[in-house]
Amino acid sequence: MGRKSRDSRRSRVTAPAPAPVAAAGGDRNQALAAAALGCFVPGGGHLWLERRQKGLVFLVAIPLMFAVGLGLGGRLFPFDSGQPLVLLAAFADLGNGLPYLAARVAGLGEGRVVAESFEYGNTFIIVSGLLNMLVALDAYDVALGRRQGSAP
Amino acid sequence: MSSHLLVMMLFSGFVSLIFAVLMKDRPAEQLKLGGRLFAGFVGAALVLGWILFPFPL
Repeated sequence: MGRKSRDSRRSRVTAPAPAPVAAAGGDRNQALAAAALGCFVPGGGHLWLERRQKGLVFLVAIPLMFAVGLGLGGRLFPFDSGQPLVLLAAFADLGNGLPYLAARVAGLGEGRVVAESFEYGNTFIIVSGLLNMLVALDAYDVALGRRQGSAP
Repeated sequence: MSSHLLVMMLFSGFVSLIFAVLMKDRPAEQLKLGGRLFAGFVGAALVLGWILFPFPL
């Protein structure tokens, strides 16, 4: 058995167990609130957790991507349970949070099916919503101190 | 906007930016990862585009 293997086993044996959530400085309620805020306002969770640089980038980039999608003639999909793929796309759209609600209230997102950029627009809108969900989950992890260098 | 290449590059730019900022904490690391992701997206799209060129659907 080589030295590397022995060292590897020793490091496994002596490695400390993962710290419990509370000991890592995380508060589950705060984490849930950060995730909820992040779902509603893109980057809002990070801003609330004082991750200003990240929060500002998300606050600008995600709504801008959503707006470009609308500009390209993309559609805000309806919640139609008869068409599973449309339903999934509708949930992805909803992931944009406040920009989605604003667009719905303003009557945008009808979609120009004849536009050559229609599918591009849909892709922009769906992906921006999914990215915002990912950002909200990251805010949850940051609040719990799970991310390296992100302990509150 | 009718340029497919420009729309694809814009999409790649947004996704690269968000992933880079999400995954890295320091601006230098974010720039490096974002650049690599962007180059990967655009490069892969161009290569796949040329590979699929002889096979029209």
